[in-house]
This record gives sequence, C-alpha cells and structure tokens, in this order.
Amino acid sequence: MDRADVGALVQSAVDGDGAAWKALVEGLSPLVWSVVRAHRLSDADAHEVYQTVWFRFAQHLGRIQEPQKAGSWLATTARHESLKVIKSLRRLTLTDDPQLLDRVSEDGTPEQSLLDAEEAAAESERVRRLWQEFEELGDRCRQLLRVLIASPPPSYQEVSAALGIAVGSIGPLRQRCLRRLRARLDKRGAL
Amino acid sequence: MTDEHDDHDEPWEGSAGDDAPDCDRVEEELRGAAAVLDPVPAELRELAVEAYALHDLDARIAELAFDSLVDALPVRGAVDVPRMLTFRAGELTVDVEVTEEGLLGQLLPPRQARIEVLSGPQAGASLTADALGRFTSDAPPAGPFALRLRTGGEVVVTEWLRA
Repeated sequence: MDRADVGALVQSAVDGDGAAWKALVEGLSPLVWSVVRAHRLSDADAHEVYQTVWFRFAQHLGRIQEPQKAGSWLATTARHESLKVIKSLRRLTLTDDPQLLDRVSEDGTPEQSLLDAEEAAAESERVRRLWQEFEELGDRCRQLLRVLIASPPPSYQEVSAALGIAVGSIGPLRQRCLRRLRARLDKRGAL
Repeated sequence: MTDEHDDHDEPWEGSAGDDAPDCDRVEEELRGAAAVLDPVPAELRELAVEAYALHDLDARIAELAFDSLVDALPVRGAVDVPRMLTFRAGELTVDVEVTEEGLLGQLLPPRQARIEVLSGPQAGASLTADALGRFTSDAPPAGPFALRLRTGGEVVVTEWLRA
C-alpha cells in the first residue's frame, strides 16, 4: 500500500470513518498474516497473534506517531508477538499440541476445491509444486519470501520491520533467494 | 539445514545478476500461489474489520511495563510458572497474574473499580476490584485479552496482549 494512502486512511479512521478502517484491513492484513506465517506458528497461535495485532492497532489508533508508517507498525508488532509465542513454546515445550492443531482453519478448502476441478488440475499441480519447493527453502529464504509475497506487496521498510533486518540487505537477499528457488524448480522441470 | 550448506548444492548461486526479470516472475508466481494456498482466513479478516469497535480515544491506555515471558529469567526446573504482567497508565499500576486456574490482579494505588475482561470486540466478563484494589477471576484468559477498568470517572484499558 502507498504510504500516503495509509496515512490518509489512518487519519480518516481516527475521525470515525469505518470504510477507511476497512480499507486498511484489506490493504494490510495480508502483510500481518505473512509475518505471522513467516515465523511458522501453528494455526491456532497464528490466529491469536493476528487478532492481538489488529486489536492493539485499533486501540492505539489516533496515538500512532507516524500514521503513514502504520504498515511498519503492524509488521513490527506482529514480529514481536510471534517471537513471544516462540519463546513461550520453548519455555513450556508444549509444541504442536494435537488438540490445538485440530483447530486448524479450513479456509483453504473452497480455493482447494476450485483448484481441484478437472480443467485446473495441471495448473493446480504446478502451483502446488512451486509452493512445495518454496516451503523447502532454507529458513532465512522462506521467511523473507513469505513476507515479500504478501498481496499487495509490502514496502522494504515494512519487510525490514517484519523481520528485523536492514532495508539495504533485502534486495540482494531477495535476489539470492529467488534465484535459489528458480534453480530448484529448474531441477524438477517445474517451471 | 543452513543457507550456507545449500550453496554447495546449487552452482546457479554465483551466476551473474542479469536474471532480474526471471526473479520478478518467480516472485509474482509465488505471490499468486500464496493467495490461493495460504490466504488470510476469511474469519480473521472479518475480526480485524470488527476490531474498529475497540478504538476508543477517550480511554487511557495502560501500557505493558513488565512481562515475565520476556523480562524474567526462567526458573530452573519450574513448570507452570504464572505469567506476571504489569501495566502502567500514569500513576496507576495494574498487576496481573495469569495461571491455569484464572486471573489474579491488583490495582495500585489501591482503589475500587469495575473491570471487564475483553477477548475481542464483544462485551466481556465483569469483575470488581475491592477497596484494596484486588480482583480475581476463575476463568483464565486464552488468546488475545485486555482489561477495561472504570474507576473514579475514567476508563483505562490495558494494552492488548496474547495470554
């Protein structure tokens, strides 16, 4: 999302414009989701962190110092909350509680059934293979790319806030990771 | 598995950087795949829209000042250590202890308050802080939560947090 737009939408939302808030959610919730997913949280944890981030954003609305940087604010908060979850899991060693995992969302299902339609089978297979190769990239690459591929695409400032890495290192790292992914796909003849 | 290790397997790594368009294409394809295979769950998007109701310019925010999860050293061998949280809004301090049995709190300086335990944009369970500022709940908060306190004519809300 364009920073000037974000700033204006935040201001309108502060002034009571619910449609502006909705536009912020539409534009920035994929970024928040990507950050949470980049940290490989379980579905249950991912859902709770995502909610916490948006509830806190609503709470701080009107007190955020630089409204045009709301995307970075959300990304930073999502990162901190994700790291807290990872820390608490490590402390409790309660990872992958099967009951929690049973609560996984079923949201992939409608899209899945669309994909599975016969005419789309080949395309579906290609997308699946691409995703699989992506999932099997090294941790750093997987994490960076998961945030970069949010839609709409995040700014490098937002990516920096999401992952705690310098803005200047994102471009070269991105190139390197995409090149690596391409190589893996080439090897499999998947692209 | 480290990135360094991968380098040895993949000679493409060092090749010249004239492949920017190809990289852009892969990124776009991946973006498309993420939108299909790992989208923002619809109910989460809806919750974020509803969260607008939580914006309250009149309430004071009690900011998180201490979280045992982050700020305390782990106790060796201790299991089920309670989560200790401290929130501050000016002179008012809200101490909260979250255990599996519930929630235990203390307002300082001591004062009476009506307290609502929020878990989202909907109304939450009501508690009362006694004259000594103590409050308890036998329902442990799970997931996102905040406390909305009404005391002495003002409203104070603790910063949203995941229990």
